[in-house]
Amino acid sequence: MDVALIALVVLWWALIVYAALGGADFGAGVWDLFAVGKMARKQHGLINHALGPVWEANHVWLIFLIVGLFNVFPSAFYALSIALFFPFTIVLIGIVLRGAAFVYRYYALDETGFFARSWSRVFSVTSVITPFFLGVAAAGVASGRLIAPDGVPRATYLAGMLTPFAFVIGAMAVALCASVAAVYLVVEARDTEHDEALTESYRTKALITGAITAVLGALGLLLSISEAPVIWQGMLARAIPVVIATMLIGLGTAVALYRRYYRIARVLIIAETAFLLGSWGLSQYPYIIPTRYTIANSANDPTVITTLIIGIVCGLVILLPSLYYLFSVFKLPYPIPGLRRPEQARQTQARKNNEMIVNK
Amino acid sequence: MMPDLLAARAQMGTSLAFHIIFSVLGVGVPLLLCISEGLALRTKNPVWMMLTRRWARAAAILFAIGAVSGTILSFELGLLWPTYTRFAGAVVGLPFLLEGFAFFTEAIFLGLYLYGWDRLSARAHWLCSFPIWISGMASAWFIVSANSWMNTPAGFVIKNGKVVDINPLQAIFNPSTPFETVHMILASYVATGFGVAAVYAVAYLRGKREEYYRKGLMLAMLLALVATPLQIVSGDFNARFLSVYQPTKFAAMEGIFRTQSGAPISIGGLADPNTGQVKYALEIPKGLSILADYNPNATIKGLDQYPREDWPNSTIVHTSFDGMVGSGFFALLVAVVFWALFLLKKRLPTYKWLLWGVFLAGPLSFLAVELGWMVTEIGRQPWTIYGYLRTKDAVTTAPLLNVSFLIFSLIYVLLAVALIWLLLKVARRPLPQVTLSEQGYDVKEPEIEKVGV
Repeated sequence: MDVALIALVVLWWALIVYAALGGADFGAGVWDLFAVGKMARKQHGLINHALGPVWEANHVWLIFLIVGLFNVFPSAFYALSIALFFPFTIVLIGIVLRGAAFVYRYYALDETGFFARSWSRVFSVTSVITPFFLGVAAAGVASGRLIAPDGVPRATYLAGMLTPFAFVIGAMAVALCASVAAVYLVVEARDTEHDEALTESYRTKALITGAITAVLGALGLLLSISEAPVIWQGMLARAIPVVIATMLIGLGTAVALYRRYYRIARVLIIAETAFLLGSWGLSQYPYIIPTRYTIANSANDPTVITTLIIGIVCGLVILLPSLYYLFSVFKLPYPIPGLRRPEQARQTQARKNNEMIVNK
Repeated sequence: MMPDLLAARAQMGTSLAFHIIFSVLGVGVPLLLCISEGLALRTKNPVWMMLTRRWARAAAILFAIGAVSGTILSFELGLLWPTYTRFAGAVVGLPFLLEGFAFFTEAIFLGLYLYGWDRLSARAHWLCSFPIWISGMASAWFIVSANSWMNTPAGFVIKNGKVVDINPLQAIFNPSTPFETVHMILASYVATGFGVAAVYAVAYLRGKREEYYRKGLMLAMLLALVATPLQIVSGDFNARFLSVYQPTKFAAMEGIFRTQSGAPISIGGLADPNTGQVKYALEIPKGLSILADYNPNATIKGLDQYPREDWPNSTIVHTSFDGMVGSGFFALLVAVVFWALFLLKKRLPTYKWLLWGVFLAGPLSFLAVELGWMVTEIGRQPWTIYGYLRTKDAVTTAPLLNVSFLIFSLIYVLLAVALIWLLLKVARRPLPQVTLSEQGYDVKEPEIEKVGV
């Protein structure tokens, strides 16, 4: 099998993981923006608590993606860097400001002070802007018009980015992040905070943003007929089952949320994200940037890619257990060595309580 | 209006100058955390735990800023230098990727370390500090090996204008790698040691003499004492290596314009490429020939051997180099005098002049890191990939680079001001109360706490 394709699949997985983890970080920031009134303080607390230990690790997936892309497809990366100069610069500013803003607010000593409140605002506003422009960039790639007809990438050639399609996909990215985050926060609110009002509020939010994502997704699909013909054709040719699966999983998530099976909803929303991005990948195959750059014409030397894949495997051998440990300690209710005794007891108790809730 | 090339270089330079402070601390501080927490567990002395907790809190903020400023750099490689990234990505992508993994591991265990105080057992928590400093060191090694490759490119052949016969391992282990990576990692420990020591020197100067400050000062000075002499030796190796592999950089560093035997060392002064002189410098006759070749009459190649368009900016490179070496030797002097007096008096020396020296060595060590980085980077000019790709050919075709530079500069100013403000606030808080318990330690942070930790 073609090593470049294997590497591309790995990168696409990283993209999915970034969307499921980093996307939720953005989404949490979106909810932070909408947190007003009496619940605001509790919501800020919940979001701080949920994001604190994991946000840095979540965002390394993006670095992995960038680095992986320029290693495996150097010439496509070159073209993307120039053609997407403006949206990427905005995304970069967003990521930097929101990362910094999050820690500044988290460690600010006086949470009602000017310092904490201003950074809090920066955090939530950039959390909306960043996924929007990531979506715009993705739509630009999908449109097939990112590179001017003469084949020279130009930052000033904005076809493919200033279109209704790009706007819809950008908005959909924000909605998707918000709905993923809402589902995670439902679980956090119920299992960690044991706060019923907060749980219910995020359940409603998850349902609403899920519906908005679905509507925008359908609109994007319709627009792609004229605005991203390569994607539309590719979808008809090979991605139809995945697209249908995405829709069904979306429905399943809504049902699980509605019936308050929150942990199931969490698994489903991750699957939903994976299938959504998977269907994009499948539809776009074999292009990296339609229609100029394909896997074949932009891939690096196969021996180099093989070395990279070996490097990735070695890296993952260290990374995956570490990541599992991180999430076990902070997010998952299963026993893991190294916990303090009181903490173990607390987790066991929490697990029993949840089982009781589910059984009732 | 700035020309685009200059704006791109200015933005990249600002980004690196900003990020390097945090990456240096990201390599050095975890080692201090690991040692002090280990000492806390071993000696059961709560003061070590207080130190660890206080450092961890500062580290959490510093590392987050390091992570975001690092993200800026990884984006900027593509956004500002797409042609460079296409070339480098093809050949030397592997260390970038491995650096990504190392950084990833660091971020994961940092999450566990910084937020897991109440969840992890004392021993498990301490064990989490090991992957942090190990992967911090590893990521420094990987990323600097990629930079080494830019200085001494290896592991590929250019045929008909195309990069072929790529060997990623040869690219990683290029001739500069052992010299540059060691120098950078040691620099991290030197700067962290003196940087932390400077904080406690200030506390001492303000009359605080409790065990907490003494332990903080001693541990930091110990790190400095071990790392600084090694760093000086490593620097000497680097200079001799450069005289062979990057003679233009070496000549610019030393301000040698004319090829000569028995070349002098010019200390200080301004290198002037138009007259070929180093004005106002203190000259040690034959010094450079002795240092570079152990032979007072050895011939040293000057910049005159190379076309003028291949010269780096010798004024900046020479001055930066001397600033780095000067700061390094000052730091060494401080460390040696401090520990000599300690051994003589069998207790921590508290002379005002010495504490002032320690305090000065802190910022000067960071200055040395910055200047050393400038020597490497500006000394490599006009090349981005030495001998293969000129900086002016590597820059993007995107417009408005000066606007971009302006925006990012403002962001850095904003981040820096907020960071300093917050760190000062955190430092002025009362110390956490630490007591021994069956779980190891119980820590009570002072009451003015809020949602966060």
